[in-house]
Amino acid sequence: MAVDVKILGNSAKPAEHSEEDERHEHLMLDPKPREEMNRMVMDAMTHTSKRYWITVGVLAFLVAVCLFGAWGNMIATGNGVLGIRRPVFWGVLIVTFVFWIGISHAGTFVSAILRVFKAEYRRPFTRAAELMTTFGLAAGALYPLIHLGRVWVFYWMIPYPNARWLWPNFRSPLVWDFLAITTYLLSSTIYLYLPLVPDLAMARDRTTGWRHTVYKLLALNWRGTESEWHRLRKAIQIFAFAIIPVMFSVHTIVSWDFAVSQVAGWHSTIFGPYFIVGAILSGVSAVVTILFILQKTMKHMDYFIRREHFNALGILILIFSMAWAYFFFNEYILHWYGGEKVIEDILTAHATGPSAWVWYLMLICNVAIPWLTLWNKRVRTTPWLMAIITVLINVGMYAERYTIIPLTLGHQRMPFDWGIYNPRLTELLIPLGTLFLFILLYMLASRFIPLVPVWEVQEGQVAHTLRKVGKGKVPSVSELE
Amino acid sequence: MPKEPVHLAIFKEDRVDEAAEAVERLRNLGIADKDMSILSGIPYSEHILGRPVSWTRVGLIGLGGALVGFLIALALSFGTPTLYPIRVGNQPFWAIPTSIVVTFELTMLGLLISTFIGVFVETITPTYGPKGYHPKVSDGNIAILFTCPPELDAQMHAALNPLGAELVHRSEVKNL
Repeated sequence: MAVDVKILGNSAKPAEHSEEDERHEHLMLDPKPREEMNRMVMDAMTHTSKRYWITVGVLAFLVAVCLFGAWGNMIATGNGVLGIRRPVFWGVLIVTFVFWIGISHAGTFVSAILRVFKAEYRRPFTRAAELMTTFGLAAGALYPLIHLGRVWVFYWMIPYPNARWLWPNFRSPLVWDFLAITTYLLSSTIYLYLPLVPDLAMARDRTTGWRHTVYKLLALNWRGTESEWHRLRKAIQIFAFAIIPVMFSVHTIVSWDFAVSQVAGWHSTIFGPYFIVGAILSGVSAVVTILFILQKTMKHMDYFIRREHFNALGILILIFSMAWAYFFFNEYILHWYGGEKVIEDILTAHATGPSAWVWYLMLICNVAIPWLTLWNKRVRTTPWLMAIITVLINVGMYAERYTIIPLTLGHQRMPFDWGIYNPRLTELLIPLGTLFLFILLYMLASRFIPLVPVWEVQEGQVAHTLRKVGKGKVPSVSELE
Repeated sequence: MPKEPVHLAIFKEDRVDEAAEAVERLRNLGIADKDMSILSGIPYSEHILGRPVSWTRVGLIGLGGALVGFLIALALSFGTPTLYPIRVGNQPFWAIPTSIVVTFELTMLGLLISTFIGVFVETITPTYGPKGYHPKVSDGNIAILFTCPPELDAQMHAALNPLGAELVHRSEVKNL
């Protein structure tokens, strides 16, 4: 009996060609001498065009007007300039606070979790993601201050006793918030700094003048001795493991700001994981948007940031979009099936009320768009498409927080107290101001901090080889640590 | 006693095997491990270069910090209410579940900050062994920094040159 033998895969493709493809596709298999990579990163860092400075100037102006101008006006005039009033006392400012804290999650997620699980594709963009965490948190941490109204008494939030030795109530979720955000901000800043030290030493060796002095100070006399590497690896290992539960705790605590209350629609045990999944979805999407911008605007970044990175992050986004949909549906169906009148009214208002477009926008951007597009590898490996999709996901996540906060507050137990929240100009300007602040800080940092962890990239390239197995060559990784 | 001169042998980034062999040859010449130090642009584990395992107290300092954070959290959660007791009917005076949040956050804060302080303290603590640096290290090269008695100079050159080492003149080996 004759047997038809078919060769799986592309039999017409010569082995050399596929090896070349592998190298082209994977940064880890396409090594360059370290000296050249250092030069590329320094070049990207020190090369500033006129357009860059004009953009920085415009952003600084917008931050001054939108953030500090609007906030100053609010301080001078009072919280009456905001649209928050009975029954909605938490509006866009709290929505944006939750949004920024969510964004800040992915830096740690991408860096720490992928480091713990040894996901090699993380190497070139961990720092870009960590930087996003620090600046996202800085932007988010402004909101409790802004929302205070009387910002000059902000120190009342610090846990110390008053003149009568009465201490703050540590059982209050507001104190939890303060402690959680402070812990996360400090630890993520240190986590950004520690792996940066060898790259700061590299920058120290290649600069003169004030830059050299600053890098020398920040590099802590780094020489690259065995004990220095051992110490750094140990510290990074401790941070990578310890910062993960901190990351989970921060957004859980943010969700508890809502969930521990008696507000219908908020008092739910699923809010912690639901908020975390949403935060990771929006944060990883923001990483992709930032990587696209870095790849297109900074010199040599197309060598470090490749299609493989968009592909891998695209898969992560698809998984988290599905996880988010699971939690959303879980929350929805239990409330709907439970049949409690007030919840029924809230769900009906979300889906058919005057602001129903926000609810549909959330579902379209968080579920329909990623599910319909990201299954396709061609989409995932097209950076500009990924940039559009990820921006839309963040629009969807903003809509989700808007649905949870003002739209839910507007339909509580007493129908006579129902109301529609309309944000006013100050509430629109301040979030825009923090967005401009985030971009401005990121742009400035991109010219001062090596955005690519060169030593980690080189370490990965040394560890990766193409190993011959049978007739073909396959990528393999060695453990150097 | 006059100090022995410091030497620096540099190997290209892809010459890890030669660097490990050089360490072995220097050891055979009678140069002790404590008189050698490897500088590199990426971390290599000790067994790759055939070096004794180095140690660090960073983990221990981190644990100490976690303990301090934990104790501060206990003091804030359970100690401060006793300073000015306000008893509310039907409410526990010490609420354990709500105190877990503060305890967790402050323990982790203690762990992470003290780990960083540990790195910082160990960095500024004076160390033994040869001192010196060359910017080629941050280009990914592997450098062996060692002290060698002048009478072994010829043997040292004979041992390292065939391995492709670039011996840097001592005037270029700078302290940071």
